[in-house]
This record gives sequence, C-alpha cells and structure tokens, in this order.
Amino acid sequence: MTKTGKYHKKDRVTLGMVLIYIGIALLALICLYPFVNVLAYSFSGYNAVLSGRVTFYPIDFTVDAYKEILKRPQLWLAMRTTVIVTLGGTALSLTLTTLAAYALSRKELPGKNFFTAVILFTMYFGGGMIPTFLVVKNLGLYDTLFALFVPQAVNVFNFIVMRTFFRDLPESLEEAARIDGASYLGCLIRIFLPLSVPIIATMALFYAVGYWNTYFDALIYIQDPNKYTLQLRLKGLLTGDELNNSANLEGIGTQVMSQSLKMATVAISTIPILVVYPWLQKYFVKGVMIGSVKG
Amino acid sequence: MAQTNVKQRQAGFAERLIKLLRRIWNCRVLYLMLIPVLAYYVIFKYIPMYGITIAFKKYNVFKGIADSPWVGLDVFKKIFDSRNFWEAVRNTLVLNLSTLAVSFPFTIIVSLMLNEVRHAGFKRVTQSVLYLPHFISWVVVAGIATNMFNMTNGTINVILKSHGMDAIPFLSHNGWWIFTYIVCNVWKEIGWGTIIYLAALTGVDESLYEAAYLDGATKFQRLVYITLPAIKSVIVTMLILSISKMMSIGLDAPLLLGNTKVSNVSEVISTYTYNIGILSAKYSESTAIGLFQSVFNIIILVLADWFAKAIGEDGII
Repeated sequence: MTKTGKYHKKDRVTLGMVLIYIGIALLALICLYPFVNVLAYSFSGYNAVLSGRVTFYPIDFTVDAYKEILKRPQLWLAMRTTVIVTLGGTALSLTLTTLAAYALSRKELPGKNFFTAVILFTMYFGGGMIPTFLVVKNLGLYDTLFALFVPQAVNVFNFIVMRTFFRDLPESLEEAARIDGASYLGCLIRIFLPLSVPIIATMALFYAVGYWNTYFDALIYIQDPNKYTLQLRLKGLLTGDELNNSANLEGIGTQVMSQSLKMATVAISTIPILVVYPWLQKYFVKGVMIGSVKG
Repeated sequence: MAQTNVKQRQAGFAERLIKLLRRIWNCRVLYLMLIPVLAYYVIFKYIPMYGITIAFKKYNVFKGIADSPWVGLDVFKKIFDSRNFWEAVRNTLVLNLSTLAVSFPFTIIVSLMLNEVRHAGFKRVTQSVLYLPHFISWVVVAGIATNMFNMTNGTINVILKSHGMDAIPFLSHNGWWIFTYIVCNVWKEIGWGTIIYLAALTGVDESLYEAAYLDGATKFQRLVYITLPAIKSVIVTMLILSISKMMSIGLDAPLLLGNTKVSNVSEVISTYTYNIGILSAKYSESTAIGLFQSVFNIIILVLADWFAKAIGEDGII
C-alpha cells in the first residue's frame, strides 16, 4: 500500500510534509475529541460537571454514573432487544445478500441482467416512507421486532460489492469443482465462502452497525415501550423525557448528575461498536474499495 | 428453397429454445437461491411502488389502497399550495448544498494529504480514527453535540466564556444551527469519504511520478498534472451522485439535532414527510411528497449524468 518508489526517498523532509502530518494529526484529534469528552463527563464528579470544568479528562473521578445505569432495567432490556435485532438482522441480511450475489455473479445464469436490474432499480426509485409503512403494517409486522430488520434486509450497495467480489474470483476454481460433480450450493459453501471471509466480515460489520444504530425504523414501527431499542431509549434519555421522571424520584442533584449519566449511557451504547471495529477495520477498507472502484 | 430455409430456421429456433431451457434447468439451484431475495424486493420495494398510487387518491384506511377513490392531482395541488412544503424544500436544499460545499472539497484535500503520508503506522492509526465517527449513530452524535455545543454548559461555550468571550447559540440560532449541522455531518463522514479517493489514488501508475520527478517537476506540479487528472473521473462521479441526492436528506440528523427554536431551518422534506405522514396520518400527502422527491432526484441524476458526458466524462448511468 505504501508507496516506496525511488522518488519519494529523494524527497527531503519539507515544510509541506510537516504541515501535512500536523494537519492529519489535528484532524484525527478532532475526530477523537468528542469521545474523550464523553468519557471525561461520564467519569466526573457532581461538582466538576456543575461548574463546567470537564473538558479533556475526568475531574473528581467517580463511577457513580455507571452505577446509576446498572439500576435502570429498561436500558438493559433495550440493550437486549437491540442485540437480538442486530444478530437476527445481520444473519438474515448476510444470507440473502450472499445468495443473491453468488447467483447473480454466475455468468451462465440466464436472465441475470434482468434480475440485477430489478435490484438496482430500487436504488433510484422507491415507494417512500408511507407506502412502505403500509406494507409493513399490512403484513402484521407493526410493533414487532421483525419490522426492525426484515424490511431493510438487503442493501443494494452491499449486494453490488459482494457480487463484484464473487465475479472476480477465478472461474477455474469453480469449473474444477463442477466437473467433479459439486453442486452450486456445494461450490458456494466449500469454495466461495472460505475465500470470502474478508468481504463477509465487511458486510457483517456494515449490516450490524446499521441495525445497532437504527433509530428511525424503531421510531415509526415500535409502539410498546418493552420493545424499545437502545437508540430509542438513548434518545429519550438524552432529551430528558425520561430524566424528568427520575428527577422527581431522586430529588435535587439529578439534573446535574444527568449530564454524567447521559454521557455514560452514550459510552455504554457505543462500546460494542468500538470493540468490534478494530478487528474488522483491515477488511472493510478493502471491501469498500472493491465496491467503489468496480461497482 | 425458401421452405427449407424456414424449416431450418424453425429447427434452429427449437434447438436454441431447448438449449436455453437446458441452461435454465442446469441453473435451477441458482434460481432457488434468488427466490428469497426477489421475494424481499417485490414485497418491500415493488409493492410500495404500487402504493404510490395513493398520492393520486383520497386514501381511506378502511377501503385500502385499491378501493380508495381517485382524485387526480388534487393532492399535489394541495401540497404545492402549502408554504410549509416549500420551506421544507428550501431547507433541504440549503442544508444539502452547504454541507456538500464544505465536505466535498474538504474530503478531496484530506485524501490528497493522507496519500502523501508515508509513515505506515501513522497512516493506519489516523485512518482508523478518521473512519470511526462514520459508525456512530445519529442519536449519539446529537447527544454529544448537545453536550458540547449547549448554550449554558456546553464544553465549547464554557471554554469561550472562560476566555472572556460571549457564548454562541450553536443550537438555538438559525444560522449557527446550520453551522452546527454542517460541522456534525463533516465530522461524521469526512474520513469515510476519503476511502474512495484513496482507492483511486493507489491505482495511479507509480512510474508517472518517477518520470515527472526525473524531469524536475515539483511536488505541486506532480499533484496538478498527475494526481488530480488520475482521480478526476472519481471526483466527477462522486459529484454527480451527491448532486442527484440534493432533494433527499437523512431524517436522523435534522430530526435529532433540530429543536423547536430552529424549526424554520431544520424542518426538511424527510422530517416534514414524517410529521404529516406518520404523526398526522395524512398518507396521501406524505406519499405525494415522496414521489415528488424521487422524481426530482431522478431528473437531476439524468441531467447531471448528461452534463458529465457532455464535458467528456464517463457518467454513471
């Protein structure tokens, strides 16, 4: 990846290069700072938050905010719901996308251009919010967790990326197996999937993050508070709808405590992404490149 | 003579048909694999397209889509007469164009800068950090933004005040709110946007640079005469794609960042559709707006593509 051509070595360390490094480092710090700010708030004490002294690191270190979260069963219920939706959704999405991408990447399939066009067309034109909402409602999915992943199971962009990847694998691989009598399904499972670990990991990350972060679908499809997702709960907590209730219960101090509490909740709901992210990072850059350059 | 020709042709046709049927039969497993996905697209994408007909009907929940009475273009007339609708259109265009004006050149500049970075470790770490915000939900981004940009105890205003400056109403003043919206969007997507340019940049032939270097070209000259032309087509494609989405706007960002004080600028088409469609259950109006949006986007896409081809670029359709 890194260019180590001759001409680069001859380039002296110039002011321009130094400025570029500083610029990139600054940009990275700006991208990182809000997370630092969140953590600093979440671990800071009452007085420090009240006087607005928290900026980069926790002041009067305390884990009270996290202890408070432990006392909120609703949040954990929402977390569980989101985990279920994320796992179920990612499994469904990966299955559907892989099957379609594999089938439509086979050159010998009659009608593959037509079927591909059927899928691609939805990128440019769609029914929109209400007609989709009505379909989901008529199918009886309203206020069920299925509404949070079945209607958005396949992403066209991910499909294109995967189809391109399958199409560019050497044909000879499959031919040999086919001559030996392997079925298409056998080829997919025994030859293509093992070669596609990076791309599948990328797709899994994209889908999982999508489901984890979904706010709007939960907002329009979920009514029952017991089925609220994490983002829905988080939103309620951040805008204070739910805090007002607890303020009444716990009296003075909650209003300021809430700042730490909000940020602690933000931290907890973001940690799963931060944990998965570094593991998959080396894959997804490649995955996106495949999709963007060739798709 | 002519008859045999016809016969031959018929025989040829039959043969081809049998061949095709055999190919289809051989691919039966592939078709089985396609069924779930096609079912998904028909149910969740194509049936809703049929549902668009309620934009031309007076939708009645009890009668359903098919039996609701046709009203022609009445719904559209109603929408186009509404001031709120045009405000939503204006706000959508303002937010999209201003975000594009900042993020588009900025993304390219950052890509070019990243491309110059030679130190592999530094590059890897900074790229990881730059991509990270893309994976954070808008609920969280809005939460963090409120915490940082808040008028009374937001981190930034606290710092400003401690230096003797006035607090800035980032979230409650129209102009400043647009600024905050752009900042949040750029923060979230800048790093992610560089991936595609970096991909194009790695494809640039190294020998070009070497030749230019030997000919005494400066770094800046190499940038202008080699790097930029090499990624020009990607730049054009990205620009077409962005412009063709001018009338679409994600619902999460304006909905979550917005508040009643700035609804004059934060009420965009998507939030408006949501408000009148889901919250007020005016299904026909909401659907009509969605159709207006789709058609507008397609027209812009075709125009942008035509323009790109006219100036000698590849275009995307």
